Amino acid sequence: MLRESSQIAGYKVQLSDVTSGLSDETHIPQGDLLVALSEAIVARDKDAIADARGILFQALGNDAVVDAVAVASAFHGFVRIADAIGIPYATAAQGGDAADVREEAGINEFYRITSSK
Amino acid sequence: MSTVSFKNSAFEVREDLVDAHKGAWECISTAGTWLTGERRVAVAAETRKARERVSCAEAREALSPGSVKISNTTLGVLTDAEVEVIHRVVCDPGRLSEPWAQSIIGMGLSEGEYVEIIGLISMVMILDTCTLGLGLYDLDLPEPKIGVPTQYVPPGVKKNAAWLPTIEPGDAVEEDGPMYPSPKAGYILRGLSAVPQTLRDYWAMANIHYTPGQFVYQFNRSIRAITRPQMELIAARVSALHQCAY
Repeated sequence: MLRESSQIAGYKVQLSDVTSGLSDETHIPQGDLLVALSEAIVARDKDAIADARGILFQALGNDAVVDAVAVASAFHGFVRIADAIGIPYATAAQGGDAADVREEAGINEFYRITSSK
Repeated sequence: MSTVSFKNSAFEVREDLVDAHKGAWECISTAGTWLTGERRVAVAAETRKARERVSCAEAREALSPGSVKISNTTLGVLTDAEVEVIHRVVCDPGRLSEPWAQSIIGMGLSEGEYVEIIGLISMVMILDTCTLGLGLYDLDLPEPKIGVPTQYVPPGVKKNAAWLPTIEPGDAVEEDGPMYPSPKAGYILRGLSAVPQTLRDYWAMANIHYTPGQFVYQFNRSIRAITRPQMELIAARVSALHQCAY
């Protein structure tokens, strides 16, 4: 979905940034701020969250902060449903999550895939 | 008693998000399909306990998933199998496996109970992560409501492509209640379908955090205050940090 939505919007995305962290090759506006907030939330680091949230607020405002937090939160649930119910990973994005995307993004190194080989 | 309020947040929170949190905690405290309100609130409490334990980090870092022993300190409210599910799913979801899921079923947890617990864990993780992200403390857990689980078994539930049984959109019947936004509902939407009420409770809350099902595959639009590529960048990074291949 990152690939599709970015292609439509005309933004360059380095898919490996998903696993390795943001590089200069991904050009989504405020991507660095959004990733910093996301990483702080996953780490449950309250100070880092406050810092990242404050910077994002300055850049995009109240509603963007709320929605960025909400989206990051949502994926704390989605991942657990997918992984605990054992949904076949190749069906992501209605089958649009192709093998080449997984390879490019570095997802093929994840336990779920390596353990099934 | 839990009261949902974002008044202490430095941010103005949209009303539908506040309502979604209220509704979700109400659902969590109410008897479900297989679990009483007491067990459901106990699952929520154990989810928080798992998240904060030192062994949660140990579990993620252990060479072998499951090598960190988890003790059941719930004083009989939850079984050992339930505690094991909660801790593994909260702490190390990227290293679950079908043999592990089957071993849990082998410990005496029914498939329906397993699915309902996964739904509850996922709800609590979303709710608490959202409040954390907005600079708030965890809410007090709600008081469990008295009630009897419905024990509803959907006639169309069966083992399909996932480890646990699901209902294919074509196998859903009227008695199941509303299930899918379209006949092409993605697999993530089907994950909790073995327990239709859990599926509805979960998605009613999750959609308000992300985006409703009818918009998910409209990649050129966003109903949020950030653009769709911005949303998906967050989604992809959070998923990757959880080692989620989906």
